[in-house]
Amino acid sequence: MISTMVLVTGLAVMLIGLWGVLTHRNILRIIISLSLIGTGTHILIVAIGYVRGGTAPIIDGALTVADAPARAVDPIPSALVVTAIVIGLAVTAVLLAYAIRLYDAKKTLSIDAFTESKW
Amino acid sequence: MHELIGSLLILLGTFFHFSAGLGMLRMPDAFTRMQAGTKASTLGNALILIGIAFYHPGWTLKLVILIYFVFMTNPISSHALARAARAIGIPMARKSDARPDATSAALRDGV
Amino acid sequence: MPRILPAIAIVLVGLIFASIAISYSEQTSLRPLAESYVRLVPQELGAPNVITGILLTFRAFDTIGEVAVLFMVAAGVGLVLSGKTSAEASGSPESKTPASEIVRTATQILLPLIAIFAAYIIMNGHISAGGGFQGGAVIASAVLLLLLANPSQDLNATFLSITESLAGVLFVAVGIAGLVAAGGFLDNRVLPLGEFGAFFSAGAIPVLSVLLGVKVGCELSVILDRFRS
Repeated sequence: MISTMVLVTGLAVMLIGLWGVLTHRNILRIIISLSLIGTGTHILIVAIGYVRGGTAPIIDGALTVADAPARAVDPIPSALVVTAIVIGLAVTAVLLAYAIRLYDAKKTLSIDAFTESKW
Repeated sequence: MHELIGSLLILLGTFFHFSAGLGMLRMPDAFTRMQAGTKASTLGNALILIGIAFYHPGWTLKLVILIYFVFMTNPISSHALARAARAIGIPMARKSDARPDATSAALRDGV
Repeated sequence: MPRILPAIAIVLVGLIFASIAISYSEQTSLRPLAESYVRLVPQELGAPNVITGILLTFRAFDTIGEVAVLFMVAAGVGLVLSGKTSAEASGSPESKTPASEIVRTATQILLPLIAIFAAYIIMNGHISAGGGFQGGAVIASAVLLLLLANPSQDLNATFLSITESLAGVLFVAVGIAGLVAAGGFLDNRVLPLGEFGAFFSAGAIPVLSVLLGVKVGCELSVILDRFRS
């Protein structure tokens, strides 16, 4: 039940981000929506690894070594998402650098001004 | 009994968070949006953390330190944002009293 | 008309997502690979934090690849933003408005706390939640606060570049030491495993966490500095 709610939240955030990419005209809002799609994907991946009644895969007072395989949550999606978050940040940094360059070229932040790549 | 009070406080905190989001959508101007977002969401944060303190009384000291950090960082970041917005001249909403004030005059003269 | 096509696309993608959500059922027990990881990390590597053990030993190649991606992004941002922008050609360094007194005072209080918190997260990577990436990001946020409070502060970009390259070289050197002295590349048994849950335990994982945190922090600071100028 918990992981189903988190899964639906992740999918909803991805849908909102996708709507934002398709609809907005301002470059910065498009970049924020792309970052939202990334965040939704991270939530989705972590939600898939949930085991019913499980706890975090860190062995301390609450989880001993002996019953770790029985009660821990899947650690692999969390490890993948740690990497994915940092790479999402890096891609956003490159996108923002491009946005600065595009603004310098045409002095406007609306993508309707850039028609060179249209058919 | 403890848990009932804690749950009520968490519910109140989420109501404040929701009103922060609603305020950010409906306010007419960048400055009023920043004010709605910061004040309501900081208070919502503090109420949720106090509600959690009712659930787990052993964590009270850590939660008080967390509330201190939230009160230190949230208003300062919003202050820096609002000052930067005034300095680059983002227009205020037409319905407001747009008299020139000391801060904007100082920022314009480059003090 | 202009809104119809995105709406149709969102509805279709929403149907696909709904089919994913409906056919999803929670697992009741771990899959075999995950179960073997949860069992092997405390037993062979001596690290209580399973996720850090996976990231820095079993899947360490992914970590090295991701560090290389961050390095390329720092270089790429520098390349795209080099050359004179129009804002640079007209402005001058003296025209930056100084930060207000509130921000400067708060920085004096918050900056040491954030730095200590970042060091705590990095060093606690193998015992409880934390790790190199997370601590590196917190260090970069401390640098951002410093730049906001002091707009005329000059970050020594040369020092940051040399530090991050050195951290990367040391990371690979520890990996090669694992090849020479223990089971394979980036095996963490080059250093003694120590007792379970102690501060100096889990072999080379704390060393790798520190190197990773320093590298990620320096890289993000370099990216922030390039955006500032």
